[in-house]
Amino acid sequence: MLEISDLHVAYGHAQVIHGLNLVLRPGEMVFIVGRNGAGKTTLLKTIAGLIQPAKGEIRFEGRAVAGEPPERLARAGFRFVAQDKKVFSNLSVRANIALAAHGSGTPIEEAWSKAIQLYPKLEEFRALPAGRLSGGQREILLIGRALVGAPRLLLIDEPTEGLAAIVIEDIFRILNGMRHTLSFIIVEQNLSVVTRLADRIYVMKEGQIIREIADRSEIADTAQLETYL
Amino acid sequence: MIQTIVYGFTIGAILYFFSIGLALTFGTMHIINFAHGMVYALGVYLFISFLKALGNSFLLSLAASVIVMLPVAYIVERFVIRRLYGESLDYAIIATYGVLLIGTDLIKLVWGTTPYPVNDPIGLAVPLAGLDLPFYRILIVISAVLLFLALRLFFKRSIIGQIVIAALEDSDGVRCLGLDVNRYFSIIFVLGSALAVLGGILYAPISTAEPYMGFHILLLAFAVVIVGGMGNINGTFAAAMVLGMVMAVTGRIWSQAATTMVFVVMALVLIFRPMESD
Repeated sequence: MLEISDLHVAYGHAQVIHGLNLVLRPGEMVFIVGRNGAGKTTLLKTIAGLIQPAKGEIRFEGRAVAGEPPERLARAGFRFVAQDKKVFSNLSVRANIALAAHGSGTPIEEAWSKAIQLYPKLEEFRALPAGRLSGGQREILLIGRALVGAPRLLLIDEPTEGLAAIVIEDIFRILNGMRHTLSFIIVEQNLSVVTRLADRIYVMKEGQIIREIADRSEIADTAQLETYL
Repeated sequence: MIQTIVYGFTIGAILYFFSIGLALTFGTMHIINFAHGMVYALGVYLFISFLKALGNSFLLSLAASVIVMLPVAYIVERFVIRRLYGESLDYAIIATYGVLLIGTDLIKLVWGTTPYPVNDPIGLAVPLAGLDLPFYRILIVISAVLLFLALRLFFKRSIIGQIVIAALEDSDGVRCLGLDVNRYFSIIFVLGSALAVLGGILYAPISTAEPYMGFHILLLAFAVVIVGGMGNINGTFAAAMVLGMVMAVTGRIWSQAATTMVFVVMALVLIFRPMESD
C-alpha cells in the first residue's frame, strides 16, 4: 500500500532522515519506536506532505506521492494526527468535525454520527469550544476528525503521550476497533499499547530504520523494545 | 469633549476598516502586507475619477471603485503574496513595499501630486450638547460597528469563516483535512482589500486624497494590529477604537503628538503584554 525508498529529509543543512526504507501493507498497523530525535515525527510529516523530502520516493498504491501537498494527500485518503493534540480550539467540537466533513465532501450529519459512534461522550461536548476539552478528549476528537470521509492511511504521532491510564485505554479501544479496516503508521513510546496492537514494528535511530520486528514473540518482548527507547 | 469622542471613534472606525484585512493577512498567511496601502490609496483615487464620471453619485462611485479594486487585489494576492507563503518575512516586506511604491507612483503619474478634496456626501449636522456634529462622521462609526458585527457573524457561522479561524490557529491541521487554505486566504485577502478601499473612500470626505495616503495609514494600522493581537478579529476592533481615541484626545491637547502617542501606546502594550508561548 505504501512504499518508501531511500528517503532523505533535511531542515536546511541539518539532515534528519538518511535513506529510509519502509513498507506498509493494506490493513496493517505498523508502529515506529525510537528515541527522541530519531526522526519519527519528521517521517510522519513527510509522508503527510507537510515536509518536502530532499530525495527519495514515497509510493501510495503504486503512485509516486512524495512532495504532494497535504490537502491533495488528504483527498487521497491520508490522515495525519499530530503529536501536539492541537484541535481548532476556538471552534466548537462539532465545528471541528464539520471542517473535516467539508474537506472530504461528507455530509456533516454523517460525519458527526461517525464521531459519536467512535466516542459517544462527544455528544455532551458538541457546542463546547474544543480548546476546553481535556488532553485525552482532544486526542479522541483528532482521531474522530481524521476518520471523517474515506480515510485509507492514518498517520498518528504519539497518541497516548501525556495521557492518564484510563484515557490511554479509551484510545487503545478505539485503535483496536479499527484494526484491519484501515492502514496505520503510529509513532508511539507507550510499549503496553505497542505490544498489544502492532502487526509490525520499525525501530528508528538517527534518521534510519535500524530494525524491523515482525515476529509476534519479539513484538511482545517489552524488555527488548525498551532498549530502543 | 463630545466632539473629540466622536472624532476619536471616526478615526478608530477608519483604522478598523483598513486594519482588519492587514490583521487577517498576517494572522493567516504570516505576511506583512505593505501592498494593502496601495490598494487603499488606488481605490480612493479611482473613486474620485468615478465621482466625476458618474455625476457625483457617492454610492455608485463607491460601489464601482470597490468592484474595480477586487480583481486588482486578487492579482496582488495571486502573483505576489502567494509566492511569499512560508518565505522569510524580509521577502514579504520587500516585495509588498515594492507594490506600494509602484502603486504610489502610478497614482502620481495618472492623477498628479496635488491633493484632492472630496465633499461630505451628506452635509448634515446633528445637534448634541450645544454642538453641531457632522452626521457623516456618526455614520462612519455606525458602519464600523455594523462591519464588526457582520464579520463576527461571518467568522462564527459561515464555513469559510470557520476555516479561516481554524487556519489562524493551525493551517497545517486545516490542510491535512483536505482543505486548500490558499483558496480561503485569497478570499480573505480580497475581502480585506475591499474593506480597506471602503475605509479609504469613507475617510476621503473628512481628509484629502494624496498619493502617500497609503503610507500614512499603514503605520497606524500596524500599531492597531500589534495592539489588537495579530489575527485577532475582536482585538483589532478594540485596538482601532482605542488608538483612534488616543489620537483624538492627544490631538486636542497637543496636535503634533497625536500620531506619536499611538506608537507610545503600542510600545507600552509590547512591554507589558504577557509573552505568548508557542
